[in-house]
Amino acid sequence: MKAKEGIIDLLNKVLTTNLTAINQYFVHAKMCENWGYERLHHHVCKRSFDEMKDADEVIEHILYLEGVPNMQRLGTIQVGETVPEQFKLDLKAEQEMLMLYAEGVTHCAKVGDYTTRHMLEDMQKDTDGHIDWIEMQLELIKQVGLEKYLSEQIHKEK
Amino acid sequence: MKAKEGVVDFLNKVLTLELTAVHQYLLHASTCGNWGYARLQHELHEMATEETGHASQLIDHILYLEGSPNVQSLGTVKSGPNVSKLFEEDLKFEVEDANLLREAIAHSAKVGDYTTRHKLEDMIKETDEHIDWFETQLRAIKQVGAENYLSEQIKK
Repeated sequence: MKAKEGIIDLLNKVLTTNLTAINQYFVHAKMCENWGYERLHHHVCKRSFDEMKDADEVIEHILYLEGVPNMQRLGTIQVGETVPEQFKLDLKAEQEMLMLYAEGVTHCAKVGDYTTRHMLEDMQKDTDGHIDWIEMQLELIKQVGLEKYLSEQIHKEK
Repeated sequence: MKAKEGVVDFLNKVLTLELTAVHQYLLHASTCGNWGYARLQHELHEMATEETGHASQLIDHILYLEGSPNVQSLGTVKSGPNVSKLFEEDLKFEVEDANLLREAIAHSAKVGDYTTRHKLEDMIKETDEHIDWFETQLRAIKQVGAENYLSEQIKK
């Protein structure tokens, strides 16, 4: 099926942010593991896999719309040197993604591509979940203090 | 543990190749899926997963050696207009990967880092298996013809 105007460009932009997020979260997860924070390692790794699933879906959708997925582009990967820094950088990445989805959803509605819109809306929901989790962690750190927060991250959740 | 000279650089070079491979295989898997070749999609998806595993091990090992993993670099992702072309690009890529791994293994031995050498040796084994798989597919295409080969790839 041929894509409506601007849709492929939009999907490729989404793909780039997904691919960038995969790498950023993956490194953050591994750093947490290296520091001994198993729980965080587990959580952040899952977030990286979520992005990979999204990327996969976007690639398939671009091909379905007879476009060419751009796998060559990667945004700036921002690596945090501490846990709170990592959270802040990931939060920024998720917020940028959310804005891109919002733009995308509006554009899809305008050109009448409701399949793409639906897909983006599903992804937006996941992103909301990610933002919620990161905000919660930052709030926890504020309330209980960094040391207490980190000491709870050493064991993985059952 | 502090890394021996040049080891982290080599590991980061291998990491870039592995990350590029993930992108290329994800693209090729979906492309095959889009053409209706479910079996190939499955195989290539598996390869993407294996390369992700390698990238994961490399990042772990770089951090363990107190280096910074570079996940910002990406090599050239190649695609193609048909299955044979995709396989040819993938084969070229794996051969390049094997060459780099060989260099890195030799370097690790030279500086006496046997842990890294052992890890890289595990990786080169899987890379060799990938090379073998692509060579087999390309030979089969030549022997039975592209149409016969492809008609066998529709079902998983």
